[in-house]
Amino acid sequence: MFGRTIKIALFTLLTYLLQATTAQYISIADVAPNIALAFIAIVSVACGRKYTFVMSLTIGYLMEIMLTMLNYINLILYPVAAMLGAFVFSDKSERKLEELRSREKSTRQLNPHIRTPLCAFLSICVLEGFHLIYVNITGVQLDNGHLGRAAIDVVYTTMLAAVCQFPVRAWLGIYRQKKEQQQQE
Amino acid sequence: MKLKVPKTERRKSNDSKGRQIAKRVISFLVVLVLLAAVGLHLFRLFSGNENLRFGDDFVSRLMSPLQTGFAGIVDWAVDRLYELKLQSRLELEYNNLRQENEQLVYRAMLADELQYRLSVYENLYDEISVNESMNPLVATVIGRESGNYFSVFTINKGSDDGVQDFMAVTMDGALVGYTYNVTPATSLVRTIIDSEASIAGLISSTRDQGTVRGTLGVDGSAMCRMYYLPEDHLPRPGDMVVTSGVGMSFPKGIPIGKVKESTRGMESNKQYIVVEPQADFQHVEYVIVLRYQPVAGDVEERASSNVSLSYTPLVTSPPVPTIQIGSDFYQLAPTPEPTPTPGPSISPAPGETLPADMITPAPAVTNPGSNSYEYQIPDGAMTDNSYGFTLAPTDTPTPTPPPLDMTVEEDE
Repeated sequence: MFGRTIKIALFTLLTYLLQATTAQYISIADVAPNIALAFIAIVSVACGRKYTFVMSLTIGYLMEIMLTMLNYINLILYPVAAMLGAFVFSDKSERKLEELRSREKSTRQLNPHIRTPLCAFLSICVLEGFHLIYVNITGVQLDNGHLGRAAIDVVYTTMLAAVCQFPVRAWLGIYRQKKEQQQQE
Repeated sequence: MKLKVPKTERRKSNDSKGRQIAKRVISFLVVLVLLAAVGLHLFRLFSGNENLRFGDDFVSRLMSPLQTGFAGIVDWAVDRLYELKLQSRLELEYNNLRQENEQLVYRAMLADELQYRLSVYENLYDEISVNESMNPLVATVIGRESGNYFSVFTINKGSDDGVQDFMAVTMDGALVGYTYNVTPATSLVRTIIDSEASIAGLISSTRDQGTVRGTLGVDGSAMCRMYYLPEDHLPRPGDMVVTSGVGMSFPKGIPIGKVKESTRGMESNKQYIVVEPQADFQHVEYVIVLRYQPVAGDVEERASSNVSLSYTPLVTSPPVPTIQIGSDFYQLAPTPEPTPTPGPSISPAPGETLPADMITPAPAVTNPGSNSYEYQIPDGAMTDNSYGFTLAPTDTPTPTPPPLDMTVEEDE
């Protein structure tokens, strides 16, 4: 009954621990990827917005408490960035699809394996954009170094989500669920 | 027959309504707790009331050991990975250095070989350039047969290159042997240590002539013996033995070796002296074939000109009083009057001219390789250790001192 919920809870905890302890070791050009947003994007496409909200809020809260850099930043930014990506790229609900069908609009959705990195891309762009704006507001003149590091972070996080989505989706049972649905149809 | 029910159907049937309600309630409670914690945190930040910190402290105490343990695992894994990386890098560097070392060793060996070849070629070039009149030809040894009795090797030059039988073969300024059994492409060379070899030679200091023969088949040693020397002279060990130019068409003056043993006069049954060859027969790779063919015109020219065969007078010994045994016992014979010798050539002072009869004609400068018919040892070979000897330079004419004014008192 609670299989997926427990898995999401464990995955949330694992995501936070990886972000807090491992991200620094896999940096490229001294830029660490945002493992949390990459994994939240995977969950967004695989499990939907509710899980995205709970997961992003939990991770944001844990990071706010355990890795406080600035007040409110992590707590607000992670849910906002994650939910933005989830609204755009997560699976549409049956109600939404029915509404689109009634309007005679296309209900075709992109392949989830494509939507996952795009969701991560959108989320990390929001996060990095906010960071750059915040830094600029505090009086730091932005240069190519800032933009370059932000670009590396965006690309790295997007690629990380694209690569890690396969094992995570398999562990969450998404492929098995799809297979069962196809068998039913 | 029992029909198989799909798994999803079974799950749906098992998922009762009560469980669904429990699931929603628990999920709602989790979200509620999460929102409460977040709200408490935000309220603490807004209000600045540190008494509301208990929620954050609880979560922090809960997460700290977990995060510490996970960080320890990550650090351990990172350390292991770093060690593996370092190990693989060290192994890679070791392999690269080893490979580089092997290449350097190979290059060093190649450089040594090329340097050796270069020195050999330089020696050959010097020898060829000095003895151009001998029509020299560089040949490579392509086979050798060194037995207990014979020492023969094959060179890659034959009659197509102008090689004929009984031509002198040299190496490093020393006689190695002579050609025989010449084919169009190859020639055999019989070395001077072969028992069958017999070459006319002479002692360079005393000009005594004899015949040099190899001793390989006689006593197994790579030596030569020189026979038929005059009875009244005993060569000294170390004297140079060269070719005399008699017999085979050998140029004159090719070094054969040095006198090693000269006990002929001491042992009555010993009619030879032992000559140690100068050539290194163990390392014969390149040789020079002297395609020298004396023709009548050359011989006549050599006889008529004093260019190369210029006689080098020996130093005249001063007159010594001799004792005459006979008429006057213990009477010293009168010292013969010193014959008037032609006055020594006097070097004129700058600006001074001397009479024509007082000027000693300057020795003709011989141009080795042009008109010389005598084998010339290359200059470079003089300093080469392989030769083992150094030829003395030709003495420049020095003014002969005037005879001493000696007077003998006569008995009254």
